[in-house]
Amino acid sequence: MVAAMMIAVIFCIQYFYGRASLRKEAEQRAQSELRRAELEINVVAVETETMAKMLTTLAERDVDNKDSIVNATRTLLHSLKNVNCACIACTEYLFPEEGRWFEIYSSRQPDGNIQTLQIGGADHDYFQTEWYRNGVIIDSCYWSEPYMDYSGAHTMVVTCTHPIRNKQGDVVAVAGMDVSLNYLQLMSEYLQIYKDSYYTIRSREGLEIVAGIDTVPGRKYYVYDEYIEKTGWKISIIIPEDVIFEGLNKVRYIVEVLMVIGLALLIFIVWHASRDNKRLMVTTAKNQRMENELHIARTIQMAMLPRVFPPFKDRPDLNLYGTVDPAKEVGGDLYDFYVRQNKLLFCVGDVSGKGVPAALVMAMTRTLFRNASANEEDTAAIVSGMNKALAEQNSQNMFLTFFLGILDCETGKLSYCNAGHNAPVLLRHQKKEAEKLHVVANLPLGIMDDFIFQAQEVQMYYDDVIFLYTDGLTEAEDKNLKQYGDERMLQHLALISDSRPRTIIENMRTKVNAFVDGAQQNDDLTMLAIRYQTPAVIMSNDIQQIPLLAQWVNSLDIPEKQNMAVNLALEEIVSNIIFYAYPDKKGQIYVEFAKKTENEIVKTEKDTEDKERLSAVNGQLSTRLMFTITDSGIPFDPTKHEEVDISLSAEERQIGGLGIHLVRQLMDEIHYRREEDKNVLTLIKKI
Amino acid sequence: MTTQIQENGNQIIAKFSGRLDTNAAIQTAEDVKPLLEATKKDIILDCDALDYISSSGLRIFLKIRKEASANSSKVIVRNINDEISQVFMMTGFVSIFEIQ
Repeated sequence: MVAAMMIAVIFCIQYFYGRASLRKEAEQRAQSELRRAELEINVVAVETETMAKMLTTLAERDVDNKDSIVNATRTLLHSLKNVNCACIACTEYLFPEEGRWFEIYSSRQPDGNIQTLQIGGADHDYFQTEWYRNGVIIDSCYWSEPYMDYSGAHTMVVTCTHPIRNKQGDVVAVAGMDVSLNYLQLMSEYLQIYKDSYYTIRSREGLEIVAGIDTVPGRKYYVYDEYIEKTGWKISIIIPEDVIFEGLNKVRYIVEVLMVIGLALLIFIVWHASRDNKRLMVTTAKNQRMENELHIARTIQMAMLPRVFPPFKDRPDLNLYGTVDPAKEVGGDLYDFYVRQNKLLFCVGDVSGKGVPAALVMAMTRTLFRNASANEEDTAAIVSGMNKALAEQNSQNMFLTFFLGILDCETGKLSYCNAGHNAPVLLRHQKKEAEKLHVVANLPLGIMDDFIFQAQEVQMYYDDVIFLYTDGLTEAEDKNLKQYGDERMLQHLALISDSRPRTIIENMRTKVNAFVDGAQQNDDLTMLAIRYQTPAVIMSNDIQQIPLLAQWVNSLDIPEKQNMAVNLALEEIVSNIIFYAYPDKKGQIYVEFAKKTENEIVKTEKDTEDKERLSAVNGQLSTRLMFTITDSGIPFDPTKHEEVDISLSAEERQIGGLGIHLVRQLMDEIHYRREEDKNVLTLIKKI
Repeated sequence: MTTQIQENGNQIIAKFSGRLDTNAAIQTAEDVKPLLEATKKDIILDCDALDYISSSGLRIFLKIRKEASANSSKVIVRNINDEISQVFMMTGFVSIFEIQ
């Protein structure tokens, strides 16, 4: 009897205790969902604020000039393809000839063009708007209340403003970046994970930014709130009770049934099991929330990195490959690159700290890099601009080491600015060795906003490779906490015989993994390799590949006038090789292009003897187009072919020999040499 | 690359369109067979739409010219562009073809 009573009591305690802990777990699940949404909104907020700041910087460059205000909005849209509108509203009578109102609004049209309008006026008195009134007095970024944008986008928006100041420090205008509520609404719908649940977002004043759906009367709902610091919004998640508990109810039933069926021993076992179960559920909830955050941060990070390789299919002179092997906790590594006007702009960075804050800084850095380098070629100036923006933002004392390089594809000159990052390694093709690039010890970004950065230069030659990495490589540790280190990295790099970037990186990854030998990776392993190479095309000895050759010639940087001559000469040589070099066998033909501009001293006979006359000789710039055709077929020297007599009559003319004749006519120099088992033919044309 | 042959009384016109490179020449050599058999005709090679010619193409033209000579036919080359003109000059073809 007593035993039964005891069992009943234990049963009751267990039931209620279990239910309470299940409720707690459900709460935590919902809250982690909320945090997820908050983080996503934060990313949008950070990006928008960054753009508002960039707009400010552009305008402040020449703030007394009306055209520069207009151009600032247009430049922003030109360089950031995902932004659809930008606006600058000037203070009263700032440009007297324009009158009292002057608000420039640039927007991207459906056909891709950018339309710029002046929308200020008596019918649109923006001085009365909430966003302007606050934007003008608040020191930094301000998020307005939602409003209907009649003059601009004709939809409900919130605006992120930033004050624009003149050299005396007075506010002369307000930069504004709009975020449409529609966009936020779509985003919250996209974020929804629980069935029948939804988010609402309310502004500081309680106005609705993202609307919820109607609740079903009689159904019980759980509501959780979070505040988004940056914008002052309150985001709430509303989940029906039964949805939260879905799945958990099953567990509850099993536990209860086990308890009911069991005798004292069963109850004892179940009591134990349910106790462990409870602990497990609590820790799983904690882990799950953390993993959710990490997952988001990881998604942010990976979305920022270029991952399509080869990235520039139509540029045979650039071969790039990059990878990030992420550690368990997000490390905030980044790399990025793009090509503009025959120059490759690239960067590598490592954000201090881990987790979501690091991922957010990384996202911001990427936007800053793209924007700051859009119209600027001086690497020190780009890095300074990024540094100022990051230092200003720096509430969490995050900083990042950063390396920026600009490679001029025509000349091979590499300008770079290193902000506290690991010195990249230069693999010289000629010397077949690996050495660290010399870098000046500039501070990392985000520490001192007025630090003066020094830029440097180095000359790259064909088939040189620059290898960039973060300290996830050099500080990779084995089980005894010994680090991989710089020395070992240089040694291993020097041993790799194939200079293709993908091969180098895969090789290094294998070597690091072998060194680490299963120990836990505690930092992102990031590598980017860039090879500057001679444009070349590889063909097989198949006559059907001739159009490929024509295509390749068209992709080169050759003046229109010389295009046909080059095309024809190369086709003649290559056809010859296809027909004769590889009898009954498959073979490859490799055609390389190089362009050399040199100072050619015009010599006359007497100069070489008369030294004084030499100093009076004129220098002239001459450019030569050089084509090297290599094949591993039977030895054949086309220069030895007999000259064709073009004065013969039609009846007397020989059918053969025309091809080589044409090559001799079209090119200025032809050189042949046999190298080991290869025929190497060089054609030179002076332009 | 396409070759269209049209007969017009005493004339036989071959219209070349595109790029007559070494690859295309294989098919063109087949397409021009009617021209090689024409006797006592005016063979007109219409190059208005011909963008480019390599030595394989030139060989085909030369073959047509030689056969015409043997068959008492005349060969006229029409409307070659500036670059193909240059090629004709480099190879001396300018003196063995009538160019209009």
